[in-house]
Amino acid sequence: MRLVIALLSCLFLTSNIFGKDPKNNPSSESEKETPSIVPFILLPSGHFLVNVKLNDKGPYQLIFDTGAPTLLLNNRIAKDSGIMKKQKGSMFSPFGPMGQVKIASLQIGEVISKNIPAVVVDHPTVNAFSQYYKKKYGPIDGIVGFPFFAKFKMTVDYQAKQLTFIPNNYKPTDVMESMMNAIMGASKNNKPKIVAATGYWGLKVTKATKDDSEGVDVSFVVPDSPAAKAGIKVGDRLLTIDGRWTDSETDTYHAAGLVQVGKTVPVEILRNKVKSNLKVTPIPGF
Amino acid sequence: MKHWRFFASIFLLGCLVIPGVSSIRVYAGSELVEQPFELGPPPKEVLNSFEVPFRLTDTKHVLVRVKLNGTGPYNFIIDTGAPALIMSKEVAKKAKAKLDKNDFGEFHLQIEGGVDIPKISGLSTDMFQLKGMNAMGLAGCQLHGVLGYNVLSQFRIQYDFTQDKLHWTKLDFQAPELQRFKGKADQGGLEFMGDIMKFIAPLMGMRPNFEMKPRGQFGILLNGDKSTEILAVLPESPASKASLEKGDKILKVKKNRIYSAKDLWKFINQCHENEKIELTVQRAEEQKTVTIQLGKGF
Repeated sequence: MRLVIALLSCLFLTSNIFGKDPKNNPSSESEKETPSIVPFILLPSGHFLVNVKLNDKGPYQLIFDTGAPTLLLNNRIAKDSGIMKKQKGSMFSPFGPMGQVKIASLQIGEVISKNIPAVVVDHPTVNAFSQYYKKKYGPIDGIVGFPFFAKFKMTVDYQAKQLTFIPNNYKPTDVMESMMNAIMGASKNNKPKIVAATGYWGLKVTKATKDDSEGVDVSFVVPDSPAAKAGIKVGDRLLTIDGRWTDSETDTYHAAGLVQVGKTVPVEILRNKVKSNLKVTPIPGF
Repeated sequence: MKHWRFFASIFLLGCLVIPGVSSIRVYAGSELVEQPFELGPPPKEVLNSFEVPFRLTDTKHVLVRVKLNGTGPYNFIIDTGAPALIMSKEVAKKAKAKLDKNDFGEFHLQIEGGVDIPKISGLSTDMFQLKGMNAMGLAGCQLHGVLGYNVLSQFRIQYDFTQDKLHWTKLDFQAPELQRFKGKADQGGLEFMGDIMKFIAPLMGMRPNFEMKPRGQFGILLNGDKSTEILAVLPESPASKASLEKGDKILKVKKNRIYSAKDLWKFINQCHENEKIELTVQRAEEQKTVTIQLGKGF
């Protein structure tokens, strides 16, 4: 059954994204290296609004949300900006016609970004927000999320009430694709995930089942290993690797798994109740 | 056919609504905060700055790890679309939170990378978006809550996904106390989605497993990080017991042919502690296959 569902959803996705592969040059992103500053309106609820132009139409007021994996536009602005009418195969839903679209040009302040995927839906929560704030701030018509801001080095400053953007050439992958992978791979992923260091350290760590204080115990250090050379000793409590907590065995492997082989990283240990920082350089091995 | 279509439509709906909703996820328990606030004079920049490790989940959420009242670590999403620190009821319970009648409590919040906020208010509620994503395992790990306005506003935060850490600068600013609207649901009636996904996911064979296991140890050093040739075998290691030697070239791991260092690491990183692994090496003119029982350590 899952296969059928996935196929159906693939069809659904295909008609919308892949069938409409943009022809215009994707490298025409805003190439400016100087930061662009965009002011925002802070709402009493702590959310903030930005003015957005879609294909040079607008501006429309959208919530800016780092927790949003996609962009949401309501049907009103999708039609108004001409994004929706080109779109075939939108589907009827309780939340108005829904569909995946690509925004050819999305502009916030001076910042322009091309070919941003978005979802058109009259989202009830956005509606509720819009109703609540309309009188004072005007309508709120959607949400700006990850596919836009991931392409920039972005600073959020609530006190200055502004966002700063510098292009960083990051290419965000499509969240819908990741979701499909997650859904198709769901039953295969029933096995525990194996976490591994990227290189060889020469360490064994343990943690007693009832021990819930921070860190793990170093139970063995291989002589002449990178760990030994860094000065780690049996009985030390390992607290962090490169700023990441090592509060369990798997935490420790996970943290060591994010250290490049050959790169020297700080390691925080506790010995005789004194914290100290050592430096470890893992070498190729397993 | 009929029920397939039914499921498909629900699924598609969920598929769209979940990322969409997760954006708004925040208003989940938080609802609108009524109290207006004045900003007053601009805050001074306090010199403390932090490199906060993060990862992007499979659903493209910015995930950081936090501790609440010394318990955890928990997985939280950074969310400017959230008005407050919000955690699941289970996490609030583990953190031994004393909650008021609106489910707010006071917490000691630590964020991986050194951020330490001794006192901050947080809301205990089960957000339907997190519930739905956890039921389907969509994010690739379990999600416990979000960091919203009352945390984020105390910092200037730089995001750059070409790096593996976020840059946080502490500002001299305290967010005003948050209040929760009583009894008013502001999700526009989407709260049921979490339970629906929770119900449907197992029917679709989705039983996410968030458990992790360490990789087992071989005791092999390689001749460079692009190499498949053994530089040294550690004394008394599993590799040494299987009589592997310096100069052996690794050809197969668990019968998978190795063409590059990338292949090697890919298959090596699927082997857990105590597992018995069949390894084939090239030694001079001869191919040799051995079985190694992996040890512990890294």
